[in-house]
Formats: sequence, C-alpha cells, structure tokens
Amino acid sequence: MAKIAIDPVTRIEGHLRIEVEIDGGKVKDAWASGTMWRGLELIVKNRDPREVWAILSRI
Amino acid sequence: MKEESLFDSLLRRGVSRRDFMKFCTSMAATLALPSAFSAQIAEALEKKQKPYVVWLELSDCAGDSEAILRSSRPTIGQLVLDVISLEYHETIMAPSGHNAEKSLHDVVKNHKGKYIAIVEGAIPMKDGGVYCTIAGRTALEIAKEVCGNAMATLAVGSCASFGGVAAAKPNPTQCVGLKEAVPSATVVNLPGCPVNPENVTATVVHFLTFGTLPALDKNHRPLFAYGKRIHDNCERRPHFDAGQFVQKWGDEGHRLGWCLYEVGCKGPQSYMNCPTIRFNEGTSWPVMAGHPCFACGMPQSWDALGPIYSRLPNVPGASYQATADKVGVAVVGAAAAGVAAHAIIRASTSKGKQENK
Repeated sequence: MAKIAIDPVTRIEGHLRIEVEIDGGKVKDAWASGTMWRGLELIVKNRDPREVWAILSRI
Repeated sequence: MKEESLFDSLLRRGVSRRDFMKFCTSMAATLALPSAFSAQIAEALEKKQKPYVVWLELSDCAGDSEAILRSSRPTIGQLVLDVISLEYHETIMAPSGHNAEKSLHDVVKNHKGKYIAIVEGAIPMKDGGVYCTIAGRTALEIAKEVCGNAMATLAVGSCASFGGVAAAKPNPTQCVGLKEAVPSATVVNLPGCPVNPENVTATVVHFLTFGTLPALDKNHRPLFAYGKRIHDNCERRPHFDAGQFVQKWGDEGHRLGWCLYEVGCKGPQSYMNCPTIRFNEGTSWPVMAGHPCFACGMPQSWDALGPIYSRLPNVPGASYQATADKVGVAVVGAAAAGVAAHAIIRASTSKGKQENK
C-alpha cells in the first residue's frame, strides 16, 4: 500500500492538497484539503450589510 | 549560451521598436520622471537580462494575479511581467506538488540574493500559522525563506502589504503583512485591492533601470504611486469644491457625476494614483464608475476609516468641508431656483413666440 500527496495542486485559485491511498494499483481512499482559511464568515458578522459584498467578493 | 535580454524577448513576441519606446516613455511618466529618462529606461531594458522572479500566493484570493494576468489584450507591461522569467506561480504554472516546489527551491538555492520575490496575500500568525500551508509548510516559513533570501520583495495588494481583508476585524487568523511577518526582508509595498499592474511594472522597470528600489514612504510604498491624495487628483473634485454632492444612489447628482463624498468616498484620506493611472489600461477607476473610493490601499482600511458608505467626519482642509451638507443644500437650492427661473423665462419666451404666431 502506498500513499501519495499532491500539494500544492496548481492552476486553481486557492490552496489545495490531495492525498491518495493506493492498494494494488487502485485508489483505496482519498482526501482533499483546502489548506488556507481566513474566516471571512466571521469578518462579515456585525458589519454594515451594505459592505458585505465588498468583503466576500475577495473570497 | 547568452541569456535573452528583455528587449530581445519583446522583439521575438512581435513588439515593435516604436511600441517599445512608447512603453518606456509611459513608464517614465508613471514613475514621475522627466521624459528624458525614457531613453535611459530603454537602454537598461535592452541590455538587462531577465530577472528571476518567484510569485508566492499566501492567504490571498488571487485577485492581484487576476489583475495582472487578465487583460483584454496583451500589453507590453504585461509582457515585461511575463518575460521576467517567472519561475514559480501556483495559479499559472504547469507542474504540481513536488515538481512545483522544486522550481521554487531551485531559484532560492541557485540564485540566492539575486531573484525578486513577489508576494500576494497575508501571513496568518495564529496557532503557529496553520491557517495557510503549502506543501506542508506554513506561509510564514515559506515567506521567511523565500523573501529572506531575495534581492527584494514586492508585496502586491493590500493583504501582503498590511494584512488586507484577511486582517479585517476580528482578524480571525491574526493575519499581518509581509514586512511585519519578515522584518528583515527588503520590501516594497504595493497595496490596492487589487494592486494596479501599472505600479508593479513601473517598480520592476525602476529596479532594472537604476538598480535600486524607488523612493518609499514610511509605509514602504513607492512615492511615485502613493505620494498623492486621490481627492486632489479626482475628476469629480470640481463638484466637491462647488458643493455639488450625490445624496442618494441614482439621484440627479449621481446621474450627473457629482462628488461622492456624502455617500462615503474615502478619497480625502487615500494616497494612491488611481485617478491618473486608472485600471484596465486606463479605462476607468471606481469613482469614475460612480462608486465611492473605499481606501482599499490604505493600512487597515476595512476598519480604520469606518463603513464604506458612511461619510468621513469633518475632512480637514478648506472651511467649507465641515459644512458640506449646508453648502450642498444651498447650492442645490440655488440651482433649483436657477432652473425655475430659466423655466419661467423659457415659458414666457415660448408663450411670446406662440403669441407672435
């Protein structure tokens, strides 16, 4: 059984890590992780609703 | 084999000598240099070899990459950025995983102290920096290694400069700008949300021409781009001076392109060259499009200057600024009176004409 990790996955927007477990030439299990979090959901809490578009468009 | 110079590379891509000289002149203008410097810029770009550049994306949205890459036609400025031997850029590079990281390590190892690092995105400091990792390393570790060994680092966009939107209250991941995270690095901050590509190109060109970074302000921003106040270069400034303010979205003043101060414009507190350089090849900029400036390139702009649509309190300067409300009302009143008078005159004139018939 072998495990491979592809990190970073390029040509996408954001940071992505893929881990794959291989057994006998077949994928046995796989994991995808977004490896960056800024908490924009928390940043827009309690703000003037009119400016939320400006913050969340920077996603 | 001799490495291709920047000019050779441009020629190979079909850029004419004439266009090249035009570009050098526009760069001299952006850098606020007398036009005579365009010859010196041209000479430097003709001879200089392409500098090695690595582009790091940390806690970002790729908006600055978009600003530089997405263009309706390939400009020479874009080509310069393209031909600067971009060795590493996650969003556009072909290899993934280990092979991608190898490109980065090779530049840091083989060109130590000679490459330019461009950083997009903030650096999260909370919990040991776990909120942004690439290839198992934190953004902070990567920035320390890559920017610490670079000849110079350009922090593009407000996040890399000051923490930006990621550092807006309550700053959940304790994001900071590059200079704060890696104080030993030689950093030029080019804030903006996104950065204006013209300013990135001009900074690189300045470096290639003079071998030094441009003069910086206390926030490590080049004076050529961040030395002048938006309010003083705004095409709507005459309306401010005349007391003509937009009061409500879509009102008569908004349709007529009046000053956006009353609806929250932060131009009086923003030092950037947006009104003169504009975006998308000089097409437009927020205020021109009818939206107030929200000081995107100023430190901690999301919190420091109040909500986007709230008027700045008592902008210092001319005496009428504190009473903009009153002036605005008075002028609108006078204008209305003028319109009414005009209407009466017109009515009486046309009536007279009718009577003449």
